Amino acid sequence: MKDLNNICNETVFNKIYNDISKNVWGFIYYKCGDTAQADDLVQEAFIKLWQNCAKVTTEKAKSFLFTVVNNKFLNEVAHKKVVLKHAKLQPDYANNQSPQFLLEEKQYLQKLENAIAKLTEAQRTAFLLNRIEGKKYKEIAEMLDISVKAVEKRMSKALASLRDEFDSI
Amino acid sequence: MRVLLTGLPYTMEKNYTLHKWLNREATPEETAVLKASPEYAPYLKIAEETSGFKIPEFDSKANFNGISENINTKTKVRKLYPISTFLKIAAVLAVLIAGYLYISSKDTTIATQIAEKKTFLLPDASEIVMNSNSNISYSKKNWATNRKLSLKGEAYFKVTKGEKFSVNTPQGIVQVLGTQFNVFSRNSNFYVQCFEGLVSISYNDTIVKLPAGEKLKIENGTLVLHSTTSQKAPVWVSGESSFDNVTLITVLEELERQYPIKVTSQLSNTNRRFTGSFTHNDLDLALKSICDPLKLTYSITKESVTIYDKETQ
Repeated sequence: MKDLNNICNETVFNKIYNDISKNVWGFIYYKCGDTAQADDLVQEAFIKLWQNCAKVTTEKAKSFLFTVVNNKFLNEVAHKKVVLKHAKLQPDYANNQSPQFLLEEKQYLQKLENAIAKLTEAQRTAFLLNRIEGKKYKEIAEMLDISVKAVEKRMSKALASLRDEFDSI
Repeated sequence: MRVLLTGLPYTMEKNYTLHKWLNREATPEETAVLKASPEYAPYLKIAEETSGFKIPEFDSKANFNGISENINTKTKVRKLYPISTFLKIAAVLAVLIAGYLYISSKDTTIATQIAEKKTFLLPDASEIVMNSNSNISYSKKNWATNRKLSLKGEAYFKVTKGEKFSVNTPQGIVQVLGTQFNVFSRNSNFYVQCFEGLVSISYNDTIVKLPAGEKLKIENGTLVLHSTTSQKAPVWVSGESSFDNVTLITVLEELERQYPIKVTSQLSNTNRRFTGSFTHNDLDLALKSICDPLKLTYSITKESVTIYDKETQ
């Protein structure tokens, strides 16, 4: 049935939402570190998908959403001249280790978090998508609409910058 | 795939391996090599620690509700007006509005041709009657607070009470508050007659106040006449040009404005003075009115008139 491929079909639309909304949201969150902004942009992107449901195939839905949400984000930055807030990350203190170790670990992580905040938005997004979301370079390249080589470059630069931050202190 | 990494120590195999490891595609042997290398240890640590971070939870339900609400308030009819059409319409409107704003901010110009008179109202209901071959320009915008206009030629003003009203001419400025007056500004001649109210005239560095029933003449920047007038309104408005001791040249120039003709004079003395008037409606009669008192004669061919001394005929 052609209906199963039509995004204008609510069931199809809902499925797409359940499948990728978290990814799209995370993508924006890595860029701006603001949950409210990420919420707004994700909602706007899905609304736009619904409005264009007759024109977008299910295969293209993912790239459509990422393109739309990225453009909206850039628009907001351009118009409001928003200072990009660093991604607020929460360290995962899983283990029970010695207090000394935990303290050093905490300090290290704090330093790391600050250093990540100082990365360029391009480097940070690629780096965190790879490290936290576990995305492969190929996937990141698709999401950001750049080449795999470009992703490699961003990863290298991110690592180099972060290393520099630790060296300088 | 060989990649040169910026900032990282250049070791071809290890860089390639590093990216494989970041991509979680490295074999155990390759991983062991990386971990054994002291140069790469800090990078690995940074990479591993970063993996331990978490980001806030994505509230799937709340966001979905936000989307549903928004969709339900918009009808499907919206699809008939895709964004591109809307943008095209908006762009055209923007250009039209910009064009209108630009044009409306420019001055309005009213001009009369030869043998043409015009009467019109300004935005404040002040009335202007323009004599032939004259030009007035003003800005409609802010007219109520800024009543300024430029005049070239001659016009009769009936100004409503309000903010200061100014008539700018090359020879001077006439200012009123609410009044009726006539301004003649051509070449180096500047004549003003006041019929009602009070008029202030500034020329060169002088200011003269002209009350109702007075007139003045400024020629070449000098005041040549300041006297009374019994007229209640300029005569030219009713189709007649009237002169009080002016040069013949002045009379003939006005004749050329009221009739589509070219006047040449073959006279021994063109500095003769004339007092009298001529009609705008009958060229023959007009010429008679000018020539008879001065003992001149004339001939008309098509669109040109020649004036002769009577004696030479």
